Amino acid sequence: MKSELELRGVQQRFHARGVADGYITAVDDVSFKLLASPPQIVSLVGQSGSGKSTIARNVLGLQKPTAGSVLYGGKDIFKLNRAEYDAYRRDVQPVFQDPYAIFNPFYRVDRVLWKAVKKFKLASTRAAGLQLIEESLKAVRLEPENVLGRYPHQLSGGQRQRIMLARVHMLRPSFIIADEPVSMLDAQVRKHFLDILLDFQREHGMTTLFITHDLSTVYYLGGEVMVITKGEIVERGSVATVMHEPSHPYTKLLLDSIPQPDPDKRWTTRIQVDELEHLDDNTLGDATKPEAPII
Amino acid sequence: MPMRILRAVLRTIRNSRRLAMGLVILGVLVLVALFSPLIAKAIGGGQDPIELAAYDKWQVPGPSHLLGTDQFGRDVFAMVVKALAVSLQIGAIAGVISTVVGVIVAFVAGYKGGWIDNVLSTFTGILLVIPTFPLLIALSAYAKNVSLFQVGVMISIFAWPFAAKTIRSQVLSLRTRPYVDLARVSKARDLEIITTELLPNLLPFIGVGFASSALGAIFGLVGLEIIGLGPGGVIDLGQIIYSAISTGALTLGAWPMFVVPVGLLTLLFAALNMVNIGLEEVYNPRLRGVAGE
Repeated sequence: MKSELELRGVQQRFHARGVADGYITAVDDVSFKLLASPPQIVSLVGQSGSGKSTIARNVLGLQKPTAGSVLYGGKDIFKLNRAEYDAYRRDVQPVFQDPYAIFNPFYRVDRVLWKAVKKFKLASTRAAGLQLIEESLKAVRLEPENVLGRYPHQLSGGQRQRIMLARVHMLRPSFIIADEPVSMLDAQVRKHFLDILLDFQREHGMTTLFITHDLSTVYYLGGEVMVITKGEIVERGSVATVMHEPSHPYTKLLLDSIPQPDPDKRWTTRIQVDELEHLDDNTLGDATKPEAPII
Repeated sequence: MPMRILRAVLRTIRNSRRLAMGLVILGVLVLVALFSPLIAKAIGGGQDPIELAAYDKWQVPGPSHLLGTDQFGRDVFAMVVKALAVSLQIGAIAGVISTVVGVIVAFVAGYKGGWIDNVLSTFTGILLVIPTFPLLIALSAYAKNVSLFQVGVMISIFAWPFAAKTIRSQVLSLRTRPYVDLARVSKARDLEIITTELLPNLLPFIGVGFASSALGAIFGLVGLEIIGLGPGGVIDLGQIIYSAISTGALTLGAWPMFVVPVGLLTLLFAALNMVNIGLEEVYNPRLRGVAGE
């Protein structure tokens, strides 16, 4: 399956009350391209409210953009015929942010996996389906007997999020759209989760669009990074370049906001959220100056 | 799927004593109603105890007639049992109709949103603010000899908006849950999402909707009958109360004709309300114990 996913001039506006012209622009003229081969990890970084999640919903076909288009294999995803739609659904799969709300509390967690088996016709018999499920659970380092037959509230957040990864593992999509998948996991589980994503890239050739507000995870994953603020992509490039030679002031501010696990490198000034709102080059002179360590 | 729903229902009942109590009382009342033909036969000993002039009229309660007889010489005990069955049937008919209509309206409006929601919600709102009772009084003027089913339909016209309103608001909150998105990227269609993802989580609300519509219907009818405007041809508990009042049964020592139907209605009211409160109270899966099962 050689395919590509492309956003071309995507704009998303929402009706809102109390705003000057009656709507807010969540995503403004965003264009980028994800290639299935070679498999890559592309991170999309931005603060909350910058439009990251809306882009994920656009790419997944859950939200039709106001303008512009999302193309899968060169075709608009909202104009696919049946066979193309099936291929698109199979090929582009999400991992969502909230590992708690992603499961319907009414059902056991197995259902999510069985649904994938049935809807995408992964196995013809029950035994084959079960084997597939167990294989995928083991691939994300979960013991099938510990999770199968349980209700979502009986599992930890990390376990639930890995079940989502097991689902992705079963479907083997070319593209994973991971919308803040680790923001609700603790540090250890987070590394574990990121390692699995990297495994998927290496072993199964999956391309990941990794959406996050956390630059340290981006650094860990490597690959490409795009920085988004106020619905616009302001900087893109390889992680090494962007991290070490940020060109846009917003990127610099973001980099300064990474907490360092070193007591000598405490922040000495506070970053005000207001500063992010009225960001321009003048104010950034001070905000991005490296802080003098307290000795 | 049906097994799973049954299990969920059992789990819900186990968690609330109030719900269990309500259901037990309701169950006993329904059982009595179901066996009303047998009870009538046992009392009549071969003949119909609620036939006109089956016995002497105005007998006081005694061993042969536990609750006495009425102005036409009918056995009051047999009458009350029969009337209970009729009241429950009216409640069930009106409850089912208004729940089904309410659920469909609520899901279409809540899930589809946009102008469809606007139209349906406005319509529901209009029906909600219409004063029901005067309208029913007017309607009953045209419905002199109606069947039990027609009475149920008549009353449910005004009972469904309440159910629709409460369920719609729940649908609105549930449809934005991530598991609905997950179902969508798993190629589930709208109808499938509504029936398998949303509906099961709304069962308690649907239960509450059913119980309150049934309750509303039974008491709406009783209210009409007590002021003498009940539709003819249907003898339910309200009709017996009315005849007890209009014949002055209490002064003739036939107190059971008044007291027993009122007692049964009170019991029914208490039972359905306990079910309502119990369901609302207990149904929150996030509060279920981690070690549950």
